[in-house]
Amino acid sequence: MLQVEDVRWRYGDKIVLDGIDLEVPAGKVIGLVGPNGAGKTTLMRILFGVLTPDTGSVRFDGRPADEEARRSWGYMPQERGLYRDMRVLDQLVWIARLHGIDRSTARRRAVDLLERLGLADRRDDKVEALSGGMAQRVQLAAAMVHEPDVLVLDEPFAGLDPVAVQFLSDVITDHAAAGRHLLFSSHQLDLVEELCETVTMMHRGKVVLGGDVRQLKADSPDRTLRVDVEVEHSWVAPLGVEVTAAGAAGSRLRLVPGVRAGEVLDAVRAHHEVTDFGVEAPSLAELFLAAAGDVTAGALR
Amino acid sequence: MTAVGATRLVAAREIRETTRRKSFWIVLVVLALAATAAVVVPTLLDDDGTRYRVAVVGDRPGLAEALTTSLAGLDATVRTSLVTTATDAERRVEDGSADLAIVTGDRARLIVKAGEHQELVGAASQALSTIGFAADLEAEGVDAGRITDLLSRPAPTVTEIDRGAADRKGASFAITLVLYILLLTLMVQAANGTAIEKSNRISEVLLAIVRPGPLLFGKVIGISVTGLLTFAAGGIPIVISLAIGSDLPPGIGGALAGGAIWFVLGMVLYLTLAGSLGSLAERQEEAGVVVAPLTFLLVGTFIAAQSAADTTFGIVLALVPLTSPLVMPARIAEGVATVPEMAASALLLVAAIALVARFGAVVYGRAIVRTGRRLKLKDVLRSTPA
Repeated sequence: MLQVEDVRWRYGDKIVLDGIDLEVPAGKVIGLVGPNGAGKTTLMRILFGVLTPDTGSVRFDGRPADEEARRSWGYMPQERGLYRDMRVLDQLVWIARLHGIDRSTARRRAVDLLERLGLADRRDDKVEALSGGMAQRVQLAAAMVHEPDVLVLDEPFAGLDPVAVQFLSDVITDHAAAGRHLLFSSHQLDLVEELCETVTMMHRGKVVLGGDVRQLKADSPDRTLRVDVEVEHSWVAPLGVEVTAAGAAGSRLRLVPGVRAGEVLDAVRAHHEVTDFGVEAPSLAELFLAAAGDVTAGALR
Repeated sequence: MTAVGATRLVAAREIRETTRRKSFWIVLVVLALAATAAVVVPTLLDDDGTRYRVAVVGDRPGLAEALTTSLAGLDATVRTSLVTTATDAERRVEDGSADLAIVTGDRARLIVKAGEHQELVGAASQALSTIGFAADLEAEGVDAGRITDLLSRPAPTVTEIDRGAADRKGASFAITLVLYILLLTLMVQAANGTAIEKSNRISEVLLAIVRPGPLLFGKVIGISVTGLLTFAAGGIPIVISLAIGSDLPPGIGGALAGGAIWFVLGMVLYLTLAGSLGSLAERQEEAGVVVAPLTFLLVGTFIAAQSAADTTFGIVLALVPLTSPLVMPARIAEGVATVPEMAASALLLVAAIALVARFGAVVYGRAIVRTGRRLKLKDVLRSTPA
């Protein structure tokens, strides 16, 4: 188990992390969500010892995480970091060797990984000759080439096309399914919701909500009526219901205590035929917005 | 992975990637060729002593022989040619086809470019005087054989004190120029390398694996090794030339040996500073700005090494670690450095490297992950550890 306990970090006068607790058990995909400036990247840097917390600790398997332990972890930073003028295979072998792996094993693993990632034919190319998506895969390979027990990915889905998103999703779930530790951060809450069993939501350096995704949804009193009609606010205003999203693809209406979903559905059907509808627990985004209070919807995609 | 192992891997990567670049080998070959040319060409051009060309107006029997006799003590020979007019003679001196012109007559005239060939002027004056004296004796009825005897006494030999001073000054200039250019180039390379690693965020990946110290010192060692290869490319032709006993300027051997020692130590000092200061930059383009103080210091030291190496101020500069890498080789080349001075200078330089290594690791470790804007050194030093 990877644990962060009461971590605080200040940069100048600004409190960046204010008493963060986080647990990453083996075999589960853990998501870290929050808007820009929430402190996710700083927390990940502290996990890897790149930054030293003012107070608090990072523990692994019950012991303080030391250099030796951290060297066996894998980290993919938010802003991609590779030597652009270095050949792909050489770069992966070199990074594996920095992790303490001997040359022949490092080479074998790098070659295997490039094969799995569909980059076998580009292994002698310089990174600068690769497309953005390919370089992204090399970055992932750099984080995995030493077969880490703990894999931490900072915004791994940013800028990926749908095929690459699916590929990376498979990598993440495979890693956790193998009984290893996996933590990733993302703005894309739909992906987080799809992949994670547990989330930790951060806002302005604090954890505002965390736990099992299904449980968080079940525990929330908020419910949403989804209909395949573009609803006008005036149709449901008399019931005190808020239209949280409306468009050609349909609308989402936040139900309020004391108002039954059937009443709201009838109010909509009075103006337009409804062919598809459902009552849903709040999405992660809605849970986050409720927890963060004053976070603007634009902060999250 | 130990710190030493990580440093070795970082250095090996730096060396491998640098030596893979064509530009590195082109510089190496050009430098080796230039150094070879600098050794070989003077040897090819050098003959046995100085050879003067003298234009003579008017027939003055015995002048060439008298000139040759006068110049013999100066290890110089002369070739005379007759010209018809003084104007022609003056033109030859002006265009450089003659070093001196002699217009004979009752009152002979010497034409020479101002300040040049003073020993030739002296020899020509002496030769004219001798010929005039012989003519006077002949007019007085002295026997020609007797005159010849009187005038054929050997000319005095000339012993020049510290004749190699100019050569040693030249060797000093050459060695400090090479060291200056190499240090400047490698220093910017180190700062650039750090700035690139920071701007493309590879440093964040690497710092999750190894500590800042091995990252910085591995880079410094790697660049230093390639720098030494470059130095060797320029130095090997001179070493070979010395080994086979070629007639190189005095001081060049000592300058090269001293230069190598102070170059290695100075390189480690400057590269450690430059590598750590490079981490203050936000973009690669800013690398030159953050090492500007070091650049100015090197320029000032280079100038001082040329003008004041043999002064008391030069002794001070040869002891100060940031200036000694250029000034001490200059003092060695000029033959004014003493062994205690050299020992003290080297010890101070090594001590300074130890201090700068700690300072550099602190600055690098704190600054390399702080992105968003160019950092000020004082802010980094005041900040808490990263």
